[in-house]
Amino acid sequence: MATEKVDKLERLMNLVAVLLDTMRPLSADELRELVGGYPEGSDATFHRAFERDKEDLRELGVPLVVQPLPGVDPPRDGYRIPRDEYYLADPGLEADELAALHLAVSTVQVGGPTDDEALWKLGGVIAADGLGSRPGGGEPVASLPADARLPLLFGAVSERRRVRLTHGGVERLVDPYRLDFRRGRWYLTALDHERDDICSYRLDRIEGEVVGEGSAKAFERPEDVRSGAERQPWELGDDEPVEARVLVDADQAGYAVHLTGEAAVAHRHDDGSVELALPVSNPLAFRSFVLTFLEHAEVLSPPELRDDLVAWLEHLS
Amino acid sequence: MSRPSAGERLKRLLALLPWLAAHPGSTIQEISERFGISPKQLEDDLAVVWMVGVPPYTPDQLIDVEFDGDRVSVNLGSYFQRPLRLSNPQALALVTAGQSLVSVPGTDPEGPLARGLAKLATALQVDPAEAMTVHLGEAGSETLDRLRSAADGGRRVRLDYYSYGSDVRSSRDVDPHRIWAEGGSWYLAGWCHRADGPRVFRVDRIAAAEVLDEPVSTAPESGEISTFDSAGTDASVTLDLDAEAAWVVDYYPHEAVEELADDGFRVVLPVASTRWLEQLLVRLGPAADVVALTGDLPATAGTDAARRVLARYRR
Repeated sequence: MATEKVDKLERLMNLVAVLLDTMRPLSADELRELVGGYPEGSDATFHRAFERDKEDLRELGVPLVVQPLPGVDPPRDGYRIPRDEYYLADPGLEADELAALHLAVSTVQVGGPTDDEALWKLGGVIAADGLGSRPGGGEPVASLPADARLPLLFGAVSERRRVRLTHGGVERLVDPYRLDFRRGRWYLTALDHERDDICSYRLDRIEGEVVGEGSAKAFERPEDVRSGAERQPWELGDDEPVEARVLVDADQAGYAVHLTGEAAVAHRHDDGSVELALPVSNPLAFRSFVLTFLEHAEVLSPPELRDDLVAWLEHLS
Repeated sequence: MSRPSAGERLKRLLALLPWLAAHPGSTIQEISERFGISPKQLEDDLAVVWMVGVPPYTPDQLIDVEFDGDRVSVNLGSYFQRPLRLSNPQALALVTAGQSLVSVPGTDPEGPLARGLAKLATALQVDPAEAMTVHLGEAGSETLDRLRSAADGGRRVRLDYYSYGSDVRSSRDVDPHRIWAEGGSWYLAGWCHRADGPRVFRVDRIAAAEVLDEPVSTAPESGEISTFDSAGTDASVTLDLDAEAAWVVDYYPHEAVEELADDGFRVVLPVASTRWLEQLLVRLGPAADVVALTGDLPATAGTDAARRVLARYRR
């Protein structure tokens, strides 16, 4: 059994070498001849083994290109691996940088642990305290939710390839600009062609499969695309923004500032309470935010927002 | 342990060969450590490499492996110059992990991780910082730094902590055991000397943390730590939600959900504290109807809370 595995490994290595080396597409029969190591027997046996080899290579992510052989009638498929699609450009990582990346993938996981292959490709699995040993089998510092569509979307973002996705029951063609993880969720920021506007989609609200469409480098990414996910719910509205002032009691001041960001702090009082200045263009989301604190927060101004809140509470009490 | 499959070894060899060619004279020890394999595995891999090449398989077309004592040099044909590109899942895992840690307060923006990530732009066709940001959770850099240094150094911390459930701010001495981020928040697990038991704290509710001189006197509890505040309580609420309040189903962990006519939902939510239920009902208002309550939850939770908040505006 062991020899069979070695034979197969050898054959796959030779297959990759031949396909990388060739300048023109090669037919299956040529490959059978050139690579060797295929089981003796009928054509059918060879084709089964060859199909499995192709599958194995695709699974590894080898960019195996299938194209018609030139000048052959009836038309037949030819195969090759374009070097510029296969080769990883050398990032030239120093040992400490590799170690830092290693530590990162060991401590932050998306869905589950990653294997070492990515680090092998980049130059090795280096532990922060020198070569060799893996960082202590500690638990991850963070685990982020996986989403089956994330890898494809990340690939599309990096290659600048358009994707088709369904959101809110509508199929959309988008230019995917970036992915962001905030408040425990993944967001895609993309240009929606139909709406001709930059939109943020929560990944878990995207329905079904995401499909890449057309070629790479299909669009330019504008500089400084701000993710909609970075904006607060009360900023996501169609109203003209008004500045609201909210007083939050000392006990919950820290928590409130964590939610709004330090930039929203208009005044810190001696008793530990804090006055926040928030740009509100979605009054409903603003009301919801303020009420999270129940009696520990108070809308100071503008009067419309304060009155709206009082009316809401009167209706409920 | 079963022998690794041909595919597994192929992955390794395709990454290993370009590195060997670029680093002639490396020792077997060095190489096997760098690639996390045993010297025996490495020798087995190199034995296969002898037989690899392209037609006409003349010696100049075969991969040449030279040993000088325990030093290895490999001469390749031109075809294996570089490793295979990173797959999408691999690129995603690297960039997500890297971008997560650089975003953690207190990380050196010019340290090896930030430098390494910036260099990855060459390999990925995109600058990781342009493609992704990861925000693990809100936490003041000072608080997080202090907690981490205390946990690393085995020192007790004094927390000024706001407990949402009981609406009380208290000072607690805690042995910090573990700090991690999950679902958009940072957490600290440790032994709370005030409660005399293991507790999980949300870092964004820690108003202040002070590292004490006292060493920790407890060891981490084994087993899963639940972060959801309601763990251990059996109170729940059943709500009928209008379509506009459907976000509740997405947002909070629920025990059961069914669709109603008019795009609404009937949802059963575990309730950590009366206060949590109060704020939810006050926020949802007429968009939610309480259908049933279990545990000791008051049926008038929403109305009571609305009156309390209103009192503040009328004083």
